[in-house]
Amino acid sequence: MNGMMLVARREIATQMRTRAFVIGLLITALVVGGLAFAPKFMGGPDSYTVGTVNSQQLPLEAAAPDMEFEWRSFPDEAAATQAVLDGDVDAVLVDGSKVLTDGQIDTELGVLLQSTHREVKLGAAGVQVQPLQMESVGADTRYQAARTGIAIVLVLVLFMLILGQVMMVAMGVVEEKGSRIVEILLGAVRPWQLLGGKIIGLGVLGLINLGTIVVVGVGASVASGFAADFPPGMPGIVVGVLVWFALGYAFFATLGAALASLVSRQEEVGNVMSPLTMVIMAAYFVAFYSTREPTGTLATVVSWIPPFSSMVMPVRMAATEVPIWEVAASGGLMVLAVLAVLFAGAKVYERAVLRTGARVKLGEVLRAK
Amino acid sequence: MLEISDLRKHFGGAPGSPGGKQALDGIGFTVRPGEMFGFVGANGAGKSTTMRIVMGVLSPDSGTVTWQGEPLTYAGRQRFGYMPEERGLYQKMRAGEQIEYFGRLHGMSPRQAKKATEDLLERLGLTERRNSTVESLSLGNQQRVQLAVALVHDPELLILDEPFSGLDPIAVDALATVLLERSRGGVPVIFSSHQLELVERLCDSVGIVSAGRMVASGTVEDLRAAEGGTLRVVVRDPAPGWADGLPGQVSVQGDRHVLVTEYGDDQEILRRAMKAGQVEHFGVEQPTLTEIFKEAVA
Repeated sequence: MNGMMLVARREIATQMRTRAFVIGLLITALVVGGLAFAPKFMGGPDSYTVGTVNSQQLPLEAAAPDMEFEWRSFPDEAAATQAVLDGDVDAVLVDGSKVLTDGQIDTELGVLLQSTHREVKLGAAGVQVQPLQMESVGADTRYQAARTGIAIVLVLVLFMLILGQVMMVAMGVVEEKGSRIVEILLGAVRPWQLLGGKIIGLGVLGLINLGTIVVVGVGASVASGFAADFPPGMPGIVVGVLVWFALGYAFFATLGAALASLVSRQEEVGNVMSPLTMVIMAAYFVAFYSTREPTGTLATVVSWIPPFSSMVMPVRMAATEVPIWEVAASGGLMVLAVLAVLFAGAKVYERAVLRTGARVKLGEVLRAK
Repeated sequence: MLEISDLRKHFGGAPGSPGGKQALDGIGFTVRPGEMFGFVGANGAGKSTTMRIVMGVLSPDSGTVTWQGEPLTYAGRQRFGYMPEERGLYQKMRAGEQIEYFGRLHGMSPRQAKKATEDLLERLGLTERRNSTVESLSLGNQQRVQLAVALVHDPELLILDEPFSGLDPIAVDALATVLLERSRGGVPVIFSSHQLELVERLCDSVGIVSAGRMVASGTVEDLRAAEGGTLRVVVRDPAPGWADGLPGQVSVQGDRHVLVTEYGDDQEILRRAMKAGQVEHFGVEQPTLTEIFKEAVA
C-alpha cells in the first residue's frame, strides 16, 4: 500500500510541476467562468428604460417581477422622440394613449405595455380581473434550459477529462516500459502497486481539474446571477458527477494501462489505444444526445450499461430528474465492471510490461498461465 | 551467498524449435559474500539474460536461483540493487529526488532516504547536480545517477549490467571505488563488462560465458594457472640450430633469437640457451585475462 501511495505521490508532484498542467487548469477555469456568465450576455435584455410624457407610470414591475424597469419622464413629445432615436429609452408612453418606439417594439415589452394598460383601464372602470393560474401537469420544466446547459458543459468536461487522463496513464506506462525504468521499479514494488499508484495519482489530478471546474463554475454562476436558475438538487448532481467521473476514469484508465503495456514506444500508443478511444467517443456521443433527450429510450437504456453509464448517467442526472434507486443500481453495475477490469487489466499489465521490444499480442498475454 | 544453477532460457517459440535462440544453456555459478564477480563474455553470450533472470525481469525455462540457501523470492530481490544494461531513469525528474524516490520505494523512511541520497551524491561527485533534471545531465553523470539508484537502499547484493560502459577514466575510478567499498562491506557484487583489464583489476573471481554456458570460472589466478604461462627466452648471437629439438617457436629478430613455448622443461631450455649464447631474457609470462578469454571462447 505504501509503495502504491509513493508512486501516486510522484505522479501528482511531477504533473503539478509542469507548465502544461498549470496553464491547462487556468484555461479551464477561465472558460468555465466565462460560460457561467454567458447566459447573461446571450439572453434578451432583462431591463428596459421606459419614458413618459404626460402619462402615469404603468405597473409593469407587478406584471413582470423578474425584470427591471427604469422610468424617465419627458416634458414634451419632441424631447421624448429625440431620446427614443438616441436609444436612451426603449419606448415612451405619450398621453396614456400611444407608445413611441424606434422601429418595431421589443415583443415582450410591447405585450407587457398592452396588457398592463388594459388592466389599468379595466381597473379604473371597476372590473376586477383574476390572473390565470398556470399549472403544469407534466414534468417541472422551469429549469429545463439551465439543466440542458449544465448537462452540455458536463458532457464536454467529462469527455475531455476522461480521455485526457486516460491518455496520460497510457503514455506514462509506455514511458516506464520503453525506458526500462520499469525493470528497476519492479525490483522495489509489485506490478499492481505501480499500476495502481499511477492510476490513483493521475485520477487525483483529474479530480483536481474537475473540482476546479465545479468550484469556478458554481462561484461564477453565483456572481453572475445564473445560480438563481439552478435546478433543485444541485449538490446531489455535483457529488454524482465526481463519483461517476471516478468510476469511469478507473474503468478506462485500467484498460488504457493494460493496452499501453503491450507496446514499447510512444508512437504506438495511439494505435494500440484506438479501440478504447472509440468506446470513449461512443459514450460521448450518446451522452451528448442525452442532453437533448434525457428521458428518451436510448439515454435511459445506455445509462444502465457500463462503461457508457459513467458518462450518460451523470448527464441524465443533470438534464432531468432520475430516481435515486436507478442511479444507485446503475452505479452498482459500474462498480462491478470496474472491479472486473481492474482484475483483468492488472493481469495483462503484469505479464506484458516487462516484455519489451515488439508489440505483445493481447491474446498471448491472456492465454499465458 | 547467491547460487545460480543450470539456468536454461530459450527465446522465440518452444525450447528446441528452429528460428528461436537458446540464450542460456545450463549456466551456473556461485557468488560469495564480499566477492566481486566479473561476468565476461561476447555480446549475446547470455550475461544480461542471466542477470535479468536473477532480478526476476525474466523467468527461466528451468534451473534455480537461491539466495542464502533459499529459493529467491520477490522479498529477497527487493533488497538487491540492480542496474540494467538499458539505462532507465525518469528523464524529467531531478537527480536527487529520483535517488530519494527509489530509496523510499525500497522501504526507507524519508529521513533515511534523504541521508543516503546526500551521501551518494557526494561520493559520486554529483552534489552540484542534485537539482538538475536527468535529461540535462551528461551521459556520464546520468550513469552515476543510475548507479546511485541501485545503491541507495544499501542493497545486500549488487547486480550491475555493464556499469562502466561509456564512462571516462575518472568516472570509472569513482564508480570502482564505491563498488569496492560495498564489496569490502560484505556485499556480493556481480557486474558484467567488456573492459577486461578492469575486471582483472577489480574482481576476486571471473566467469567467462559463451553461448549460454559458463566455459571458465574462478579467481583470476586459478584461471591463469589452468591456462599456464608462456616461457619466453631471448638469446643474443646463438649458435645456429641451438634450439633444435626444443619445443616452441623460434623467431629471429636481427642478431637475437626469441623462443616462445607453452610447455617443455624450462631448466633444460635455460641450459641450452646459456650454452648457445648470451641470454638476455628468460621468463614466464602470465596470460592476461584477455588472452584467457579469447582462449576460452574460441
